[in-house]
Amino acid sequence: MTPAQWNRLKDVFQGALEQPLQARHAWLVEQCSDDAMILREAEALLQTHETAGTFLAEPARLDPTDLETLLPGTRIGSYRVLEEIGRGGMGVVYLAEDVRLGRRVALKSLPAAVAMHPELRERLRREARAAATISHPFVAVVYALEEMDDHLYIASEFVKGDTLRSEIARGPMLPERARAIAAAIASALGAAHEAGVIHRDLKPENVLIKPDGGVKVVDFGIAQIEGPEATRLTRAGAMLGTPAYMAPEQLLGASVDGRADIYALGIVFSEMLTGRHPLQGHRDAHLALTGPYAPIIGRCLQPDPAARFTSARELMEALASDPSGTGTHPEFQQQRGPTPTRFWWEFHQGTTAVAYVLLMIPAWYARGHISGWQGRAFFIVLAASVVVAAISRLHLWFTSRFYPAELSWVHRRSSRWIRIADWVFVGTLAGGAALIGDERSVWTIVLPSAAVGVLVTSLLVEPVTTRDAFKRSGLEN
Amino acid sequence: MTPDPISELMPLVYEELRRIAAHYVRGERPGQTLQATALVNEAFVRLAAERARHFNGRTHFLAIAALSMRQILVQRARARHAAKRGGAPQRVTLDDANVADGGAAFRRPDAAPDDIDVLALDEALSRLAALDADLAKVVELRYFGGLTVEETAEVVGVSPATVKRQWAMARAWLKRALDPDATRASSGEAP
Repeated sequence: MTPAQWNRLKDVFQGALEQPLQARHAWLVEQCSDDAMILREAEALLQTHETAGTFLAEPARLDPTDLETLLPGTRIGSYRVLEEIGRGGMGVVYLAEDVRLGRRVALKSLPAAVAMHPELRERLRREARAAATISHPFVAVVYALEEMDDHLYIASEFVKGDTLRSEIARGPMLPERARAIAAAIASALGAAHEAGVIHRDLKPENVLIKPDGGVKVVDFGIAQIEGPEATRLTRAGAMLGTPAYMAPEQLLGASVDGRADIYALGIVFSEMLTGRHPLQGHRDAHLALTGPYAPIIGRCLQPDPAARFTSARELMEALASDPSGTGTHPEFQQQRGPTPTRFWWEFHQGTTAVAYVLLMIPAWYARGHISGWQGRAFFIVLAASVVVAAISRLHLWFTSRFYPAELSWVHRRSSRWIRIADWVFVGTLAGGAALIGDERSVWTIVLPSAAVGVLVTSLLVEPVTTRDAFKRSGLEN
Repeated sequence: MTPDPISELMPLVYEELRRIAAHYVRGERPGQTLQATALVNEAFVRLAAERARHFNGRTHFLAIAALSMRQILVQRARARHAAKRGGAPQRVTLDDANVADGGAAFRRPDAAPDDIDVLALDEALSRLAALDADLAKVVELRYFGGLTVEETAEVVGVSPATVKRQWAMARAWLKRALDPDATRASSGEAP
């Protein structure tokens, strides 16, 4: 559309609006008799105009928190904002450049509500000073607390990497890797506690995993703000609905020490091992408390702080001694998925299920040699036990392949039924053999042999593969 | 005194808008949104008191405030959009996918509370500006800045009647541009 055409369209559209509603169409046709395109466009616009309803009738609205956004390029003191990298209940985090020193920093803008509260502000000031004294390879360095007008910013080391949360979201970690990360966090906590800083908000979101596998704990002391006022102020944020990491004494508002962080680390550790929060839902509340690390986690999660590890150092030493006996190499293993020993267990479950179903074929012929209702009962009971045993085993196999995080729970729940079905199956085979009238029939040999075979695999082979599979993955049942 | 270039005054206005919003956040009424009109007027009252000399009168301020509001809203919508693309999978609620008043339209999840897809509107407004900068300016002032017809007329320097006519045209054009059911050969499309 040329500028001239646009101006003409504008003229006829605005002219038509001056006409009474019924006369508009005729007026337009008359005006645009020489230009069908303009007529079409004007008609369409006019129709849209008449049906536009409340479109744009109200001015834009915005959420006040939207204004906490800093546009890229904004200068905050000596920092230049590059981009927003995170947002949560405790403010917005930007990647920024310190133009004085020419380095990149993570600039956390604290919620205005916190920044404007004089008491919280003073506490944050104290805490940031203490946090800045922590020097440890696994702690993100706090550079400065900047106060600009009504706003508070914390500048700290920019760590490139994923949060532990996104790693956990991908499923349970290898126990060795989880142990190494937990030990690194414990080491970071130890340094902080010795500097007099308690983290107070340790959770997977506050642990960053660098691309090289290294660990950085961030946000030390920022959760210093406590008490009902702070809870009210920070509640509106992203923490809503996430499982708690707070120790009981912290939840109750009592004064806390480093042992609250140890509690939180116990939860994080168990979450790494199992892929889920240990207190979330009832069904696997004690999942992690059954593996080789159960004693350590159990001690971290003691409701009474005095019953926990007395210091992060002590916890770190417990983690370093590595009860699983798989080595203490500090480099974290990257691979995940079923351990080699789990393969044989899966193989066993799969083949047993198939063998059960195949055994139904000879059973069908054997049934013909058992007279009357006994033959029918023999086959029905046998079929029922095969259905239970085979489906449960295939379900276990499937879970192990595709939902390893659920395996321990599924296994615990179904193993009793599998055991019962196995015994019913064996018993029915034996009973069927006894009921066969013709003693020279081949089935009097086949059925007891099958029963013995099933008995041997259930009593000898299965416990071995199961023990290997579950012991090595830290999910011993 | 000649007015400062807009780029220098933007941070000033923007900072004031932030400060006002912070006070609302402190009041903590979750979910409550602020209307552009209230925000811009409050910012003016506060800025006028201390920094009046920076501005060539109220109209100058209003133009900058409207532009700031547009940038803020677009920036936030973009950040939300990016978070949804890159971040954890999020469910699109029924509200997000509701049916627009004009025709069945699948809304992007970052649609503003009043059901306007800010990113799409911003983009359409830029296209309109290429065709007719005056019309686009009127929309920016009235929608993003929350200005009345009279204030808009004052800022642009035309009569209120003209603003009304321009507004009607711009609104109809934008509505068509945002309506996926409208024929794509809409006014001025691909000139």
